[in-house]
Amino acid sequence: MAEARDPLRYFRIEARELVDQISAAVLDLDQEPGPDLVARLLRYAHTLKGAARVVKQTEIADRAHEFEDVLVPHRGSAVTQMPADEMRELLRLNDEIVQFVRALEHPPREKPAVEQIDDEVPAPRAATADLDELLDAVGEASARIAPLRDGSRTLAGIQRRVEAFSDRLRVARPGGDAGTRAAAQRLAGDMGALGRRLIDAVDQVERELDEVRGRAEGLRLVSAGTIFTALHRAVHDAADAEGKRVRFAAHGAETRLGPQVLNQVNGAFLHVVRNAVVHGIEPEAQRMAAGKPAEGSITVDVQRRGRWIHFRCTDDGRGFDLAALRRVAETRGLLPAGSEPDPQELIDLVLHGGISTSDAVTEVAGRGIGMDVARDVALQLGGTVNIKNWPGQGATVEISLPLTLLSMNGLIVEAGGTVVTMPLDAVRRCVRLPAEDVTTAAASGRFAHEGQVVPFLPLARSIAPAAPDRTGSGVAIVLSADDDTVAVGVDRLAGTTTLVARPLPDLAPAAAVIGGVAIDMDGNPRLVLDAHGLVAAALQDMSVAGSSPEPGPRLPILVVDDSLTTRMLERSILESAGYDVDLAASAEEGLERAHKRDYGLFLTDIDMPGMDGFGFVATTRADPALGHIPAILVSSRATAEDRRRGQEVGASAYVIKGEFNQEELLAHIRRLIL
Amino acid sequence: MTTVERRITRLRTDFDRSFAQPQDSHDVEHVELLAVRAAGRPYALRLAQTAGLHPDRPVTPLPGPLPALLGLAGFVGAVVPVYDLAALLGHPAADRPRWLVMAAGTPLLALAFHDVDGHVRVAAEAIISEASGDGRRGVLRGMVALDGATRPIIDVPAARAVVHQMAGHAPGTEEGAAHDVR
Repeated sequence: MAEARDPLRYFRIEARELVDQISAAVLDLDQEPGPDLVARLLRYAHTLKGAARVVKQTEIADRAHEFEDVLVPHRGSAVTQMPADEMRELLRLNDEIVQFVRALEHPPREKPAVEQIDDEVPAPRAATADLDELLDAVGEASARIAPLRDGSRTLAGIQRRVEAFSDRLRVARPGGDAGTRAAAQRLAGDMGALGRRLIDAVDQVERELDEVRGRAEGLRLVSAGTIFTALHRAVHDAADAEGKRVRFAAHGAETRLGPQVLNQVNGAFLHVVRNAVVHGIEPEAQRMAAGKPAEGSITVDVQRRGRWIHFRCTDDGRGFDLAALRRVAETRGLLPAGSEPDPQELIDLVLHGGISTSDAVTEVAGRGIGMDVARDVALQLGGTVNIKNWPGQGATVEISLPLTLLSMNGLIVEAGGTVVTMPLDAVRRCVRLPAEDVTTAAASGRFAHEGQVVPFLPLARSIAPAAPDRTGSGVAIVLSADDDTVAVGVDRLAGTTTLVARPLPDLAPAAAVIGGVAIDMDGNPRLVLDAHGLVAAALQDMSVAGSSPEPGPRLPILVVDDSLTTRMLERSILESAGYDVDLAASAEEGLERAHKRDYGLFLTDIDMPGMDGFGFVATTRADPALGHIPAILVSSRATAEDRRRGQEVGASAYVIKGEFNQEELLAHIRRLIL
Repeated sequence: MTTVERRITRLRTDFDRSFAQPQDSHDVEHVELLAVRAAGRPYALRLAQTAGLHPDRPVTPLPGPLPALLGLAGFVGAVVPVYDLAALLGHPAADRPRWLVMAAGTPLLALAFHDVDGHVRVAAEAIISEASGDGRRGVLRGMVALDGATRPIIDVPAARAVVHQMAGHAPGTEEGAAHDVR
């Protein structure tokens, strides 16, 4: 028996669970003490004590007992705030229990690693080995089912031969031996029925095994919530050391991702939240004076958008000290003296300028080290870090990472003879379309949905360009991503599935509509579409269908710029790339020209006398005759604010003159007018 | 130690060592080749530069910018890009190839071709070597006479390099390809 060989086997599992629950509940107790919570903690501690006694783990049992002793006086009473020294005692006992339980899981080789307590980070766990075994078993089971399918085919063959035999009996000896003939016919009938039952059963088992496999693969991932307790604890300890009161909240616990990624983010975010407490949250008196609640607040949000996961830490403290940052940046020569950097530029210096590594700056600006770690983690995992600062109101640090393994529900669709999976969470609706509606939607690139015209993309055009155009009925799948809604036309729906999508392998560049790949039941790759890529493709398809109904000659480009040099430079670049170009020296002149001739694209400067480039773009966007023509802003203004404004007024791209790059400009143009 | 004991020890060591050593290093004067056809033309591949031969493996087409990239195939849980050897050699598109050979090295890569003529062991001197290939984009390196006909030898690491270039794969990740050239 397993218990005889390893008497601690089940205790380890139970203790681990109880310890997780105790660690989380203790922190809650600090924030929201209440009789229920006290009772729950007492129950956990008591259970742990009992179990530990049974398996003779007296160190754990004794500490669980002391833990109870601290809590018992509070039982049933409406505590408003746990005394700080008692909180500390509870946390100390909690930590010791955690250490002992962990030591049981990984028996120390030399001596108990008491020194490691401080920097050891409780890692999110996934029972990987067990899952691998489970997946192997599922694979094995499917392999065993394959012969059954062959068997049912053989059975169908035998049935046909028996039928033929019975026919021969009838023809060869008409009237003779009716009994034998009837028996042969019955035999054929029975075999047919058996064959059908067998096929149904095999189909069903395969479907169910596929479901089991998908869900098991999903279990390889761990939920983001597993790091919340550690973050909460870091906030609590930092606040305690600083003599501050800070409330911790976390959202998005259910988002699932790979344990390695989560581990790294956990490491970086421990710094981020600690920094937020130490440098962000002001002392109580200052907060009161600023009209803020005495208790600071730190919120961690985890959110998945498509293939990206965003970890955000928001505090309501003083924000970054921009004046200090600026002083240091100037003394270190990172900013030209007398320049007027905007606040976001200063903040970005913390991330990109390398000033964060300097001790001097760390003392002034404070958050240096944490930002370094966050930036390194993001770099390693191919992601980015962003900081938003509201002086006096707080700051947000966001790490955005691309996900490698992604557990999702998929909609299996078929288009142009190819079977692919679409992420179900982006799908809003599926509408059956008669044949003529399919043709209309495909030809116009438009589809009417809930009183709104949305772009329509026949999926076959993107994933199977060689397949002949189909003319039958189909299904329009309405999906949303990036706040855009589009419809994608497919030939048929083939059910839903649970799957784990992974990125495309190296050496396999693919169209943007392909988001990744999953492995099907038979071990073959199945493509997984990307909702954002589909939206972009549908929007592009519509602009192509709208601006040039037939592939006629390329439409000319209108360049609007008050600088003669720029006008001439842009004209020479565009003409040598084969475009026909018209010029306008002001936005007003540009508008006049735009109404006289059909253009494929506007290329406009921002700073011009009279109406500026933003105005030009906004005016043309609002004009029904010009709104469909894409516009690119070309400017020496490089700030995020300008880019944002450009996007707001409806520019399709933003090219910075300072880093003026012909190829980049031409790539934008090719993308927009083909 | 007696002579018999010594002999037993030596025999035992030899026996054990024979398992530890790879087959091909026993005999340097021979080369194992795979005689194949791509788009109907005869070629040869060095077996030592490959990591497995597979017939009739389903390939999921992958829409994208490279016509030579036939799609993706699954190999025990890994997803492997499959390139058409005929296209890498510059032949016009023919039927869908039926065989896949895994290229040694990383990242994973499979090359597809149409037929296998056989697996042969030839004396090293039967191979006419060539310092650097320049025909057919440098994928070919050397020739070998088999059954009276001469076949160009496809250099798998060179084919891999062409694929890396086509796919825009960052250089410096070809260490696998480099140390597999024996």
